[in-house]
Amino acid sequence: MKRISFAALLLALSCIIAAAQTPAPVAPTAKLKVGDMAPDFTLTDTAGQKVKLSDFRGKNNVVLAFYVFAFTGG
Amino acid sequence: MDSRFSNKAYAEKIGITSFQLLSDWGRTVTKQYGLFNEAGGYGNRGTFVVDKEGKIQQIVLDNMAIDPTSTLETCSLLEKKLVVAPPKP
Repeated sequence: MKRISFAALLLALSCIIAAAQTPAPVAPTAKLKVGDMAPDFTLTDTAGQKVKLSDFRGKNNVVLAFYVFAFTGG
Repeated sequence: MDSRFSNKAYAEKIGITSFQLLSDWGRTVTKQYGLFNEAGGYGNRGTFVVDKEGKIQQIVLDNMAIDPTSTLETCSLLEKKLVVAPPKP
């Protein structure tokens, strides 16, 4: 019984040590910089219509807001 | 990275009518713009102002992207065809 308890404690301790050594996710920096051409893309709007960034060229300035956790208030 | 259906529900909930919500379900554009955190599996906040020539004029990242003040100022300068100040080193 003592041998099983010691093994369980050792296993738990190993898991804790392994978890502590796992690096936390690092927030990336955008690779793009001011002056770069914005990568073109085609995405779908709420009505199911395709929207292409380059369609606005020569017509409008565009704000691209990547807004995560929209429903959380965060 | 939400679906267009989720975006539609969100737009209706908070009354968004003056701009479009686009779905990046496949995370392609989030990755293109360098905002996808591979280790965490989520996208980071960011705002990009793109001028009529298709050039990026401003980038605001993470928590700074919550406040749209600087973005609005940049858009105002672009509309007036004034030069946008270069980013501070």
